[in-house]
Amino acid sequence: MTTKAKRLNMNQKYQLMTRGLDWETTYQDMDDVFPYDKYEGIKIKDWDKWQDPFRLTVDAYWKYQSEKERKLYAILDSVAQNNSQLSISDARYMNAVKIWMQGVTPLEYNAFRGFCTLGRGFRGAGARVACQFQAIDEMRHHQTQIHAFSHYNKFFNGMNQQSRIRDRAWYLSIPKSYFEDAMTAGPFEFITAISFSFEYVLTNLLFMPFVSGAAYNGDLATTTFGFSAQSDESRHMTLGLEIIKFMLEQHEDNVPIIQGWLDKWFWRGYRLLGLVGTMMDYMLPKKVMSWRQAWEIYWEENGVALFNDLARYGIKMPKHHETATKEKNRITHEFWSTIYQFSHATALYTWIPGNEELDWLSAEYGELFDTVYRPRYEYWKELDDKGERFFQERLPVVCNVCQIPIFHTMPDDPLKNCCLVSEYKGTKHQMCSEGCLDIFNNEPEKYCQAYIPPQQIYQGNCGGATLDDYRKWLHIRDEDTGEYYGSEDHQMWEKWKAQAGKPTDEAA
Amino acid sequence: MSYQLTIEPLGEVIEVEEDQKLLDAALRAGIWLPYACNHGVCGSCKIQVLEGEVEHNEASGFALMDMERDEGKTLACCATLSSDVVIEADIEEEDDALNLSVDDYSGTVVKIENLTPTIMGIWLEVPGEGVEFQAGQYLNLHIPGLEDPRAFSIANSPSEPNLIELNIRHVEGGQATTYLHQQLVVGDELTFTAPLGRFFVRKSAPEPMIFLAGGSGLSSPKSMILDLLEEGDEREITLVYGARCRSELYYYDLFTELSEKYKNFHYVAALSEPNEDDEWKGSCCFVHQLAEQHFGKNFEGYKAYMCGPPLMIDGCITALMQGRLFEDHIFMENFFTAADSAKPARRSALFKKF
Repeated sequence: MTTKAKRLNMNQKYQLMTRGLDWETTYQDMDDVFPYDKYEGIKIKDWDKWQDPFRLTVDAYWKYQSEKERKLYAILDSVAQNNSQLSISDARYMNAVKIWMQGVTPLEYNAFRGFCTLGRGFRGAGARVACQFQAIDEMRHHQTQIHAFSHYNKFFNGMNQQSRIRDRAWYLSIPKSYFEDAMTAGPFEFITAISFSFEYVLTNLLFMPFVSGAAYNGDLATTTFGFSAQSDESRHMTLGLEIIKFMLEQHEDNVPIIQGWLDKWFWRGYRLLGLVGTMMDYMLPKKVMSWRQAWEIYWEENGVALFNDLARYGIKMPKHHETATKEKNRITHEFWSTIYQFSHATALYTWIPGNEELDWLSAEYGELFDTVYRPRYEYWKELDDKGERFFQERLPVVCNVCQIPIFHTMPDDPLKNCCLVSEYKGTKHQMCSEGCLDIFNNEPEKYCQAYIPPQQIYQGNCGGATLDDYRKWLHIRDEDTGEYYGSEDHQMWEKWKAQAGKPTDEAA
Repeated sequence: MSYQLTIEPLGEVIEVEEDQKLLDAALRAGIWLPYACNHGVCGSCKIQVLEGEVEHNEASGFALMDMERDEGKTLACCATLSSDVVIEADIEEEDDALNLSVDDYSGTVVKIENLTPTIMGIWLEVPGEGVEFQAGQYLNLHIPGLEDPRAFSIANSPSEPNLIELNIRHVEGGQATTYLHQQLVVGDELTFTAPLGRFFVRKSAPEPMIFLAGGSGLSSPKSMILDLLEEGDEREITLVYGARCRSELYYYDLFTELSEKYKNFHYVAALSEPNEDDEWKGSCCFVHQLAEQHFGKNFEGYKAYMCGPPLMIDGCITALMQGRLFEDHIFMENFFTAADSAKPARRSALFKKF
């Protein structure tokens, strides 16, 4: 046997290149330099045990990312030049894009902010550098999403006030509060919430519906953005896995703290994903799969497999996961029914699904859909046909934690509304579920300060106390809201379709 | 048609079918490569092709960019081979691996002994320089009349390269072990391929060692422990062994004697289902429970080596981890049988080895 000089493996090369780039401070106490990484109670014995999940140099990072940008923008240019808005399945699909742009794109920006904070906050250099890279990724996702969607903004309503409605729209406090909750926690809770619970455990339930939904519905811009982002997401998922293992292995006292965070962020993530499931079931004219099916694959199989592995560390299944699974056959219908009644107060359109879609929902959801939700839709359709399209006149009560209207039902009774109350310092706070109630009761001092938009609106703090005043303050126009059929988007789409195939001089 | 794939920096060579994905072949051969999405969009499994030709297939242009294709990168989850290929992957090279070359051998059965009612010992005499192997490794034994070889761990110390000992449990209905138990006689010739596997003692690691073994999984630990003791290793070495009943508890006297002779070697054994007439005064429990008793549920600061049936391994991993010993310090042989690859257990990407 011949012996050859040993090659350095990639890890060794990385170690050689990066070691010694950090130092222990001597003029100032390390605790003063990094004041935030101990108060949550997470004990780190040895930051050197951190395995850097990215192993990227800045030089390589720029090179890769700029190449991705070149590719992405070449396709976005061609989307614009080829009038690709005409290739989507139906103008109703644009509401999925609006949900993403209004609700998810701002999250990318908040992720950027959060990871910037962590990129300064952790004492371990490896963890700081990983968070700094991720911060740049998140900013890139925020920007490229806006650029991918901006072509559609030339044609469709509801997309022209992105940053303003991000701050002001009552319903966008659902996704926004998720991130603000994480950002106002400590660095270890933030990274557990975002990198592990969201980017690792629940990511497929967010990404798959939107990106596959875009691909199924002829939206090349969003699909291409999705591919461009997914090559970054793998790093983010690796960071999520690494941080959770690192914390669990560093000290046994960390285990119950992390269990508490996993309980909390599983439930918060699940509640947020209800909106995504609703998009899948109702806003995609061409369906990818139902929420129920996605839940079964991505949670009941993959998620449970992950928690089975985590059990080795003494981690248990997240609290209230049984409730989430019980709700899989109803949550999207309850959600859509709610948005349907309130879409005059949103920059979205809603509609009653067509008969074929109702049949698909019946097939996916079975008896419960046929007995509870389908009759409701048929009733609303009747009203609409009589010219009495149903809208609620007032904004709903929303949950003090997840900020979703309190429409959810009891875990074992889909006909009974679930509204739980916790009294704190003389004020009653309403929650949508045992999951959110637990979260509130664990940190009442935090959640009693939550900004609850409907309450603020009715107190007159948002331009006035009527819906009209509020819409003006929000800078959304009547044309951006309400029923899809008959809307400007619908009329324009019908005109485009009628022009298809006609000589170009007529199709002006 | 298949090709040979060499995986650097390990130097492992595996067979890959013409239409088989490189990642699939590596995982089935027990070699862990980093991966995540498994369908060409995330780029976690990017590797460097050093020699040979691959097809990138459905790898996304964002996960594997043109300039990377030009540099010879590919995605293991999508790539198939068009020739024999050498790759470099982002995996740890083990300093303690001897990376011995694999060869075909022929040995004469010189002794057969029933170690327990279900486990037989076979001693094969190999002439010449004998078999060079690293304690803990296994061989692939060719059984007359059977097409595929069977893997058996080598039970003797590497200091005896000319006399290879195998401990073989009779698997009910198993063709190979039934043949060996019922038809093999002293004087028979057997051919085998050795040494194989990446289960070995991390001798350069300073930590004391725990060996956990159950049933016929004693072979590798026995070889490893004999090797360490013969070399005069002074670290604390503990063997935790479990069998069903007293008659299945083999090499009890050997390990008891060793523990008397070497003050750094400790031997504890337990029976899971002792018979009434066993007169067993020791612990009655499973291996992982015995280990928890012996170490007070705290394994921090050790290296653990495990060998035994899947349920025992599973129980031990949990016990070790809950006793604060984690993946980086736990070692075992991953045998992938035909049944495993047909129905993979659903696992997450949390662990690399388990």
